Amino acid sequence: MKNYNYILFLISLLTFSFVSCDDNLDIIPEQALSTDIVIKDAANIRKILINAYGDARSSSSYGGGIALASELIANDGDLYWNGTFVQPAEYDEKAMLADNSFVRDIWMNAYNINNQANIVLENLNVITDADQKTIAEGEAKFLRGLVYFDLARLFAKPYISGSANSQLAVPIVLEAVLDANKITYPTRNTLDEVYALVISDLTDAYTMLPESNDIYATKYAAAALLARVYLQKGDYVKARDMANEVINSSGATLTATFAEAFNNEENSTEDLFAWQVTSQDVSANYFNVFWAGSDFGGRSGNPDVDVETQHWDIYDDADDERAHFFYEADYWCTTKWQNQFGNIPFLRLAEMYLIRAESNYRSETAVGNSPLSDINVLRSRSGAISLESVNLATILMERKRELSFEGFALFDAKRLGNSVGDNAFDANSLIMPIPLREMDANPNLVQNDGY
Amino acid sequence: MKNSLLKGFMVFLTMLCTSLTYSQDVSGKVSDSSGPLPGASVLIKGTTKAAQTDMDGKFTIENVGSNAVLLFSYLGLKSQEINVAGKTTINVTLKEDSAELKEVVVIGFGKQSKRKVTDNMATISADQINQIPVANLQGALTGKAAGVQITQINGKVEGGVKMRIRGISSISSSQEPLYVIDGMPLINDDESTTSAPINPLISLNPNDIESIQILKDASSAAIYGARGTNGVVLITTKQGKSGKTKISLNTSGGWSQATHKLKWLNAAQYVELFTEASANTWGADDLWLTEPGGFFDGLANGKDWRNGAVDTDWQDLALVKGSVQDHTFSVSGGDEKTLFFVSGGYNNTQGIVRGNNMDRYSYRGNLDHKVSDRFRVGLNTSLSKTQVSRIGTDNSFATPLQAVAQSPLTPAYLDDGIIPNNDTTLYYNFLTQEYNGSWNVNIFRTLMNSYLEYKILPELSFKTELGYDNNNQTEEYFAGSLTESASTNGYADANAIQSDKYSISNYFTYNKTFNEAYDLEFVGGMNFEESARKRQYVAGTGFPSDDLQTVESASEITAGSSSRTKYNFLSYFGRTTFSIKDKYLLKASLRYDGSSRFGASKRYGLFPAASVGWIVSEEDFLKDNEIINVLKLRGSFGVTGNAGIGNFASLGLFSGSSYNKNSAITPLQLANQDLKWEKTNQTDVGLDFALFNNRISGEVDYYVKKTNDLLLNEPLPGTSGWSSLTRNVGSMTNKGFEFVLNSTNIKTDDFSWKSTLNLSTLDNKVVNLPGGDIVEGRNIVREGETISSFYLVEYAGVNPDNGDALFYLNTTKSDGTLDKTTTKNYSEAQRVITGSPYPTLMAGLTNTITYKEFDLSFTFQGEWGASMYNEGGKFQSGNARYEDNQTIDQLDRWQKPGDITMVPQARMYRTNGQQASTRYLESSDFVRLRNLSLGYTFSKKLTQKISVDILRLYLTGVNLLTFTNYSGYDPESSYDNNGNSNIQKGISFYSAPPAKTFTIGLNIDL
Repeated sequence: MKNYNYILFLISLLTFSFVSCDDNLDIIPEQALSTDIVIKDAANIRKILINAYGDARSSSSYGGGIALASELIANDGDLYWNGTFVQPAEYDEKAMLADNSFVRDIWMNAYNINNQANIVLENLNVITDADQKTIAEGEAKFLRGLVYFDLARLFAKPYISGSANSQLAVPIVLEAVLDANKITYPTRNTLDEVYALVISDLTDAYTMLPESNDIYATKYAAAALLARVYLQKGDYVKARDMANEVINSSGATLTATFAEAFNNEENSTEDLFAWQVTSQDVSANYFNVFWAGSDFGGRSGNPDVDVETQHWDIYDDADDERAHFFYEADYWCTTKWQNQFGNIPFLRLAEMYLIRAESNYRSETAVGNSPLSDINVLRSRSGAISLESVNLATILMERKRELSFEGFALFDAKRLGNSVGDNAFDANSLIMPIPLREMDANPNLVQNDGY
Repeated sequence: MKNSLLKGFMVFLTMLCTSLTYSQDVSGKVSDSSGPLPGASVLIKGTTKAAQTDMDGKFTIENVGSNAVLLFSYLGLKSQEINVAGKTTINVTLKEDSAELKEVVVIGFGKQSKRKVTDNMATISADQINQIPVANLQGALTGKAAGVQITQINGKVEGGVKMRIRGISSISSSQEPLYVIDGMPLINDDESTTSAPINPLISLNPNDIESIQILKDASSAAIYGARGTNGVVLITTKQGKSGKTKISLNTSGGWSQATHKLKWLNAAQYVELFTEASANTWGADDLWLTEPGGFFDGLANGKDWRNGAVDTDWQDLALVKGSVQDHTFSVSGGDEKTLFFVSGGYNNTQGIVRGNNMDRYSYRGNLDHKVSDRFRVGLNTSLSKTQVSRIGTDNSFATPLQAVAQSPLTPAYLDDGIIPNNDTTLYYNFLTQEYNGSWNVNIFRTLMNSYLEYKILPELSFKTELGYDNNNQTEEYFAGSLTESASTNGYADANAIQSDKYSISNYFTYNKTFNEAYDLEFVGGMNFEESARKRQYVAGTGFPSDDLQTVESASEITAGSSSRTKYNFLSYFGRTTFSIKDKYLLKASLRYDGSSRFGASKRYGLFPAASVGWIVSEEDFLKDNEIINVLKLRGSFGVTGNAGIGNFASLGLFSGSSYNKNSAITPLQLANQDLKWEKTNQTDVGLDFALFNNRISGEVDYYVKKTNDLLLNEPLPGTSGWSSLTRNVGSMTNKGFEFVLNSTNIKTDDFSWKSTLNLSTLDNKVVNLPGGDIVEGRNIVREGETISSFYLVEYAGVNPDNGDALFYLNTTKSDGTLDKTTTKNYSEAQRVITGSPYPTLMAGLTNTITYKEFDLSFTFQGEWGASMYNEGGKFQSGNARYEDNQTIDQLDRWQKPGDITMVPQARMYRTNGQQASTRYLESSDFVRLRNLSLGYTFSKKLTQKISVDILRLYLTGVNLLTFTNYSGYDPESSYDNNGNSNIQKGISFYSAPPAKTFTIGLNIDL
């Protein structure tokens, strides 16, 4: 009998422990917030936006990845790829493979930013402050317009001004995905459709954003980006007007010297928008990683992208500061990306002068100022002798002198119809493949020709 | 009190009666088939009076009742009872027992006589483990068990080990078995700071292990429910035996080297090939390589390469001679009440890859005490400290083996011969890391298991077990002012992990025999486990001196983080075994598991299993069969689970991030509330047999494992903003035969030869994959194919006319066949499935031979049917596309029209055949002499003079011979960056070969 008492005691002990244990299965993550909580709080919506800027700045995209692709794909001997990574070597060789992981990362990150912009746009209602709500909408659209613009320029055949552009660009996804059942398998939209979205988003951003907004997108950042988009489309009147407004109204001024426009830890006076880099971003600035000497944080190619003597030919004045904006490691480096932790100028006022000059010249107008004056503003800032007259070729050459290594090369080649070596401006080899992983994951996509 | 008085009286009466009959002395001799048997026990049945035989097998026992019964027994032999019946001399020959079937084996939550086991499991004993001088316990099991594939990722000493039991049952969830030590499920999480895993079990001393049971089928593993799918490895540590206190020392030391080195171009060949490659691209007039001040001059750093002043063998700098030392000292013993085992161990392994080594200090104390006849307690503890000097992952310039990419024209050191030359190397010189950096891991591991067992009734007992496992790991890295961190004046980081787990089990065991024919055992109880993990990390740059290497001296803290996470399991389990007349065996078990890892509505899973057995040889028609000694048929079916996913995989989550030092939140995970267990149904049929007086025995099994609701990280279209999602989709099967044969080939007084052969086949197939193909790198998961099959463009060799690399189109023609036309345009060629990284046939053959005082044991192991892809091939064997040094076979390049070769024309910086294709895929079949051990035991007569029981001198070798056609470093060495990937398998990338080790050792037992 005594034994059975033992058993009863033990069984009740066990039962007790069983019951008390069940609650222990409810464990809440300590490093993450649940989606339901996040999207109900205005402060969190703002923080998603900040993260989207950060993701845009990441090395694969605006932290150097896109610019590296643009400069190397359009490289015709000015540069030499000296690095060990295969992906940029494929750019340089104009022989990209569909599994190029740099290409994949540009694609994936663009849509990651797009999704965050969409999350913000779908949850604007939780922001009760009307001004804050408008700003958030403007910023989300600024970022969304930006990523579609670059996706269109990288993955589609070039935009041909004045005709229908029904060539396939990239899928447009405007619905936020926070739950598994929202996943779609979209097809590619046409280039016209993508540009229409870009212009509509950036125009909204232009209307909604304030004139100053800390380091984030402003009205004039949107205007400057619009100027760049219109220029890419060959819509010179609108490009000119946007550039003109930025020059006249933004309050930005050219830095006193060319050097002062780069390697700054705070935005310079001519930055309309710059990507922020801090000492927390070790190796996360691809401009520095691939273009700087190894003493300045660059990779072991020292530098991986070196500037060849052919490039010197574009400078027409030995006193031009820009002609000396290089330093020697094992090979020649551009000084533009020397500071490992310097901000990355993205929309500089100098570009607006170039857009206004080119657009005025092409439109035979002198809105704001004459093309000659605009070009000479830039030249005198760099200590180069002023020109007596300009034509389209000199304007474009000035553009190259001013903007080299900043990621304009490929897009200018496509816009101007310039071939790269044996590759015509619209050659398949100058267009990125749809990433292989994306082709594998989404059966509704069509691959670009040549891949 | 009254009772004991009565008992005492009865005993007294009995004794009186006995003496009244009459008593006498009995003597005699006990022998076995090979002669006199010292140390056999002779017991008067019903009493405690006993004697032991002496060195000649003789015994004398006094005052034996004329009607008494004597029980003769000896471990491993069949006991015999003999009626004295007045005799004064009794000579007995004890017969061999069928040892394999008399064994007791450890199963989940209990033990069972092997004879009655209806499961499929493999047992590996201490002898087999201790003979193999490898630092990790998994290494000692390789080739020993049918259906178990054990592969160390590559030759780094701390490197992760993959154990695959009966194939691969999961795509995205864990593929590793559950390790249980003395009843306590072990922490088995890789805590490496890089993608190259650290073996979490490296901190255990294999010398402390008594036996290992690998539970393979569902009937045995289902008692571990949600974690049983990948099999369960039950580790039992050593315990003292009552009697004389035994003092043992096992000490060994030896040398190691790489199993295989490759042949690379020497300086002259390098110059020849690259000069030609440059000429093919830019014309022979372009002398940029060879001109004074040209590229080669740059590489040579002032050395006169034109006259052979420099010819660096970078491989020899990376793969060095290693060494091994292993010492374990133990004291064990006890009496009827208390058993104890205490051991201390030290292992020092200097790896074959430069700069990679390990020290391990370990301690174990096991204690078992009988408080009373009813009450037992026990405590096992172990502590260890493991220090590892690490080297970079396979995908880093700092890892030694990537040095093979450097040009032989480049001197390894500057002129002073001390400071590594980092000025003119093609890539970062790994020697700099050794000279100016450090990377150390310290692993502190504490294991504790205690139990309390109470016999409530003779047939009912209760056991409570408390286990605790603490894995504390710190990893510290420093790179000084000459390294890749030169621009920031040095870099250091420190990462600390505290991972711990406790486990409580309470269960009853009921065991009763009815009518001598029906054996019933029931086990039932519960288990609760809580695992927690904390991590702290900090990194800094800017060091005042290369001698100040901790983050404290950093001028700037550049990164830091800390995190906490936890998961729990709550389980109930029950198992019944029932046998009728020792012939008909039945077993059924049920486990109900709950885990915090799953969504609230899918939290619990039920895992049943059942098995039956029929010992045919106990039936009358076979009982006295001369040939067949044992014949047992088995069959089992059961369900097991897999919960090896992230702790919060079902929740939609955002995590913290920052931009420009402003706080931000980033989408982390998509919500999927429907996430549930992955379940595997496994059927196993088998038979056990023993023939010819048990000289041949073995097992044959066939199994089918089908896993449904696969936990799958399904790749999503990137357009969703996400890259993958864990879902329960699809199913997969593993089928295979397993065959084990043990045979005693020769057994005489002086000479014995035993062999054990195991063979297993594996047929893995993804049966259903609703989301379509998953392609990761070179591997694909596709319906109807083996998981991780290679998916590559097919290389078609070289166009003899112009040296262009060719590929098969492999586009599907209108009739459904593949178009085998060749093309030089890689982008036109389609990928096809070409082989898999998993072997379809595996075998192990162990021979044990003893001759007088000599013993010899060796194991051959083989795997067939797998392939390996060399991801580094494009650089290493890429007909001089990049400046990297090339394997010597690249000299067979196409040079002039008409050349027939597989190596395309060398064109520097121009792609010609370096794209991912079957050019870099090879069969990795191999047969390997995995281990060999030769020992000499000094005769007892000699050693007893110095009070030594056993003195054995031995030589061992690991990986002594490898037979393979694989041309890379080693058919088992794979890319450690993929170490934790379930899909990217069979990929090699500058992966170090394993060590070939020779040691000399000494066993002393006092």
